[in-house]
Amino acid sequence: MMNKKLDYLKRKKNANVIKIELYFTPLLVIFPIIVSILLIQDWFYRGYMLGVSTYNGELFLGLIIMSGNIIFDIPFLKSLKSIVRK
Amino acid sequence: MDKTETLKQKVVNHQLEFKKKIDSIELDVHWFRRVFHTFAASFLIYYILPDEQWINALKIGISIFIVLFVTVLEYRRIKGKIGGEHFFGLRTYEEKRPAGYLYFGVALLILLLFFPQQIAIPCILCACFADPIIGETRYRLGRKGAYLIGFLVCMFFFIITWYPSELWVILLISILGAITAIIGEAVNFKILDDDFMIQMLPAVFILIIWQGLIVFGINILPREIILPM
Repeated sequence: MMNKKLDYLKRKKNANVIKIELYFTPLLVIFPIIVSILLIQDWFYRGYMLGVSTYNGELFLGLIIMSGNIIFDIPFLKSLKSIVRK
Repeated sequence: MDKTETLKQKVVNHQLEFKKKIDSIELDVHWFRRVFHTFAASFLIYYILPDEQWINALKIGISIFIVLFVTVLEYRRIKGKIGGEHFFGLRTYEEKRPAGYLYFGVALLILLLFFPQQIAIPCILCACFADPIIGETRYRLGRKGAYLIGFLVCMFFFIITWYPSELWVILLISILGAITAIIGEAVNFKILDDDFMIQMLPAVFILIIWQGLIVFGINILPREIILPM
């Protein structure tokens, strides 16, 4: 069983796999930030500037998406950097 | 004797080196899986896009296309037509069954298409953030501690989405929503993955409560919190 697991993991360790991860990285990191900026911007222009509280939910969601993604992006990018070096 | 000792030492060194490599890959895969979860929160863009007929058709079409594409990809992988080495972040038990991200995508699609955003948003956020937070805290705090943190995080997401409601509704929905989300994450359902259940279980449960109370003339659903641009 253990050997099977090791074999499976070993198979994965090749350049193609790292390439797939590298190709995905910009999308995984940048897209959520864009979406959170859109939400915060919408709250700012249609909510805050016009004094409408209906858009406060968009601010909360924007902040959740942005902070949640940044928290997990940092260790991911660090780990990616170290594996690319190897 | 010396030769045997040297050989043993070599084998041990080789094993240690191999273990080190495996650990580094696992660490990397682990963060990749986490980021894939948090990335999925960006699908909430679905609700902010302008409410025009062609845009609605396009966003529904694209969502269905993505899930269908992933389904075909997974089908071909399981059948062995595409090598498993092309799929990064697969767990060992996913070798012969659909991977978690397909379950995640299917649940996300169902929520976006068939549930009101007031129910869909907190359930999606639970899968995107509470799931990886539980995974991370499990190493440090153990199972119970991790689920307690997860429960509080899920509750927070329900409170944020249902904040325009009355206090009793916020409390009811956030507590029940968080409990069902944690059940969806913690309980091992044989056929369905936890990535599916953490989203669908609270969604179905809240839908039943909402529709049940409508029968008695009480509508607890608050206004939408994301308005189209």
